[in-house]
Amino acid sequence: MEDLAIKILGAVLTTIMAFTVGMFYGGFVRKLTARVQNRRGPVVYQNFIDLLKLQSKTTNIAHGFMHHMAPIWMIIASLTTLMFLPILNGNLWFPNISFHGDLIFLLYMMVFGSLGMALGAGQTGNPNSAIGVTRGLSQMVGFEIPFVMSLIALMIQYKTTSIQDIMIAQNESGIWNMFSNPFAFLAALFAMFGMFRYSPFDIVGAPAELASGPVSEFGGKYLGTMMTANSIFSFFKLTLYVNLFMAGAGNINDVGIVATLIAIVILLIKTFALYMVPVFYGWVSPRYRTEQAIRYFWAWPSALGLIGIVWALI
Amino acid sequence: MNSFFLILLILLAGAAISFALGKISSIISGTVAFLSIASASVLFFTQLKNNTYIEFPLGEIQLQWGIDSFGYIFALIVLGLGSLASLYSISYMQNKERTGIFYFNFVLVITSMVGIIFSQDFISFFIFWEIMTWSSYLLIIFNKKDVKEIGVKYMIFSAIGAYSMLTAIVMIKGNYNTFLISDAIQAGAFNFTNNEYIPILLLIGFAVKAATMPLHVWAPKAYSNSPMSFTVIFSGAMSKMGVLGMALVLVRIFTFNANNEAILPNFSPIILQQTLAWLGAITAVIATLYALMQDDAKKLLAYSSIAQLGYITVGLAIGTKLSVMAALFLAIVHGIFKGALFMVAGAVERQAGTTDMTKVSGLIRKMPFTFFTALIAIIALAGIPPLGGFVGKWMLYESLITESNSYFLVILVFFSSTSAFLYCYRFLFGLFLGQEEEATKDVKEAPITMIIPMLILSVLLMVTGAYPGILFDPIAKGMETIGFNNVTWDMSVLGNIWGNSVNMIYVWLTIVIVFIAAFIFLTLKGLKGTRYVSTKDISTSGEIPLEHENLTFQINFFQPFRRAAAPMYKRSMDKIWNEIGSGLESLFNFTRKIYTGNGQTYAIFVIAFLVLMLLLKDTLFLN
Repeated sequence: MEDLAIKILGAVLTTIMAFTVGMFYGGFVRKLTARVQNRRGPVVYQNFIDLLKLQSKTTNIAHGFMHHMAPIWMIIASLTTLMFLPILNGNLWFPNISFHGDLIFLLYMMVFGSLGMALGAGQTGNPNSAIGVTRGLSQMVGFEIPFVMSLIALMIQYKTTSIQDIMIAQNESGIWNMFSNPFAFLAALFAMFGMFRYSPFDIVGAPAELASGPVSEFGGKYLGTMMTANSIFSFFKLTLYVNLFMAGAGNINDVGIVATLIAIVILLIKTFALYMVPVFYGWVSPRYRTEQAIRYFWAWPSALGLIGIVWALI
Repeated sequence: MNSFFLILLILLAGAAISFALGKISSIISGTVAFLSIASASVLFFTQLKNNTYIEFPLGEIQLQWGIDSFGYIFALIVLGLGSLASLYSISYMQNKERTGIFYFNFVLVITSMVGIIFSQDFISFFIFWEIMTWSSYLLIIFNKKDVKEIGVKYMIFSAIGAYSMLTAIVMIKGNYNTFLISDAIQAGAFNFTNNEYIPILLLIGFAVKAATMPLHVWAPKAYSNSPMSFTVIFSGAMSKMGVLGMALVLVRIFTFNANNEAILPNFSPIILQQTLAWLGAITAVIATLYALMQDDAKKLLAYSSIAQLGYITVGLAIGTKLSVMAALFLAIVHGIFKGALFMVAGAVERQAGTTDMTKVSGLIRKMPFTFFTALIAIIALAGIPPLGGFVGKWMLYESLITESNSYFLVILVFFSSTSAFLYCYRFLFGLFLGQEEEATKDVKEAPITMIIPMLILSVLLMVTGAYPGILFDPIAKGMETIGFNNVTWDMSVLGNIWGNSVNMIYVWLTIVIVFIAAFIFLTLKGLKGTRYVSTKDISTSGEIPLEHENLTFQINFFQPFRRAAAPMYKRSMDKIWNEIGSGLESLFNFTRKIYTGNGQTYAIFVIAFLVLMLLLKDTLFLN
């Protein structure tokens, strides 16, 4: 019983942490982007204000059942993937249920939200939404290829499909995967550009072209819930990358509060550093056309992924 | 009377009676067909025990029928899906012409498939196989559309398969002097040591029905042009007969080491195995690329069937415990979800008149139950957790990564299954989402006899997602029958040989808890304020569209993807076969120059021959 209580508490803590961190990261990016473009920009906690505003709106319109379900699919995908991800290495509070899933499962669970969202956007009948969805799905076929190649490289290297084991193996050998298999890391990093959809891969929302695409018919509580889901999902993706390539939150196996806090700080530093890569790349890039984006992923990133697999085999 | 004969007799009688009643009423005829298939299924699953055999002579040949655990897997697909499809077709075929012929052939196809499962000797196997081919041929040309192209193509490829199979059977008789499958296996007819042509010829015969590249070209149009209630069986169950045969032959090609893990005996089967696996993967990729370019939902599903059969071929060809299990699991689950999807396409065709996605859209509010089935089946087809499709895909990937060292094969399979998201979305969006147009204003939900089978199939998909062990049980028994030992399985935990696992119960629990919480929150919050608006009440960049403006986006749906993948669309197996065909034609044209069909030319030949004989008589007939 006590065990279960700790588990539930851990799950709730994980969710709150993922939500807060994701929202703040979003705020940071807005602020930094503004400064780079020589604007003042919103405050760092602007995302929280936006969320509060969206959730407190009273009148909403719905286009039907799938439209109503779209944010729900997204939050299911975000929370399920988060629950199956080991947040800290060997910590009492945040293992959640990560022992019951593996990489291939997460890979498939990650697309759950996008597809649900796509269905919701489809029901609105807005042609811009549908165009955005076709672009998004096409782009997904693009970046999933190098991503899965780098995952296969890691699985071969450590003979496991569990994230936990890959994390432990890195801590034991003391070498992060981004150094022991740089090609796989680079492939995954390129795939990340597509995953986070900053410029030049912001073809789904495409401001001024598709009028924010799939989300254009969502407002109020729907948009708010989607924003929450997106924040949690970005935290998940970053933590996944840190776990796979940067040895997670380091080698801290203490269950004490101080050790946990230190581990969390390490995790935050690593995730933030990683997050800045697609953001920086986005600042200096114009938008690609869809087919250019897909070809981008099938060219060098995929080649790097192949080299990564061969590297892991030798 | 013996249950084997009784089951076949009930089915044959059902076929005959429904043919006779077809003139009177299609509903009565359909009901008879349904009742005969359903009662045969009940008899099969209650009366027949596994591993019972009967023998009887046919002339001088001893025939053997029986049922083992391996055949049982396929009997589940054939009879289960057969009963539901025949229930479905009562309403689907209502008010159509020539329903007697339809039901006659429909029940005959089921009969022949049950016969194939019963057959333990090659003679009855081949006879039932041919009955299956012929009765399905009559159903393919039932709609009388493009009979020449579709029917002839199907017949030619079936003939290629049948002749190679017949040759193999004759060779087995010649080499081992037996017609019994078990004797041939005992003698090692399939394992490449004595005669490598036998397994290859048999595999060609089975690969035609399983639509493996390069023998798949008959499939897209044959699937999409038959009446949908038959395509459910055609794609869901009949293609699995090819899988049955392939599994039977392929597993025998592997030999087994001390732990009864399948290993490969010598060099040439490795090539065969790798060739088949790559063919399967390439089939999957190409069929997927074509599926996502289709505008007709039926064609989309047809191509997608070929792609899914490609995965099954990969699993069988790799031949480890996990991969064969994945292949057989996918075979059953594919039967379920593709059956459901073809039923959906049939329901839309019946209610809206067409399945052309550029003409129909926005049916979700008119056909909610059909949409629900389509949604569940598509999630399973895409392999997204937590439904049955994911379980099969997971096992296939894990077996490829952990057991086979075919890492590049994984990438190919993965590419195909990621691209599959595109056509999955297209199917749902094309038929059910998008703008609600005037043309489909009066469409109603399909009748209840069509809804019930669809809902049963969607529930099955959810159950197999949470408790895949229900299917692992017969599959493991069947695999032990064909040669694997100690096939382990768990009710809802999937595991690979590296010791990693996925627990489907935890997946379901998490998803359901989050779903309920989010659903209650979103629905109750501002329930009064939330109002429904039509699909025309939208904002497109600040402009509000008028009622008569058509905002449907359906044509050139995946154009950017097509542009990006343009090089992959250049070649087509169809073209290659056509080139072979025209090559043969010119060869035949050349022979026409000799065999002109003119009596005088033949007379000249005869005279020329005689003159030649006379001239050469000294050299030829000396002494």
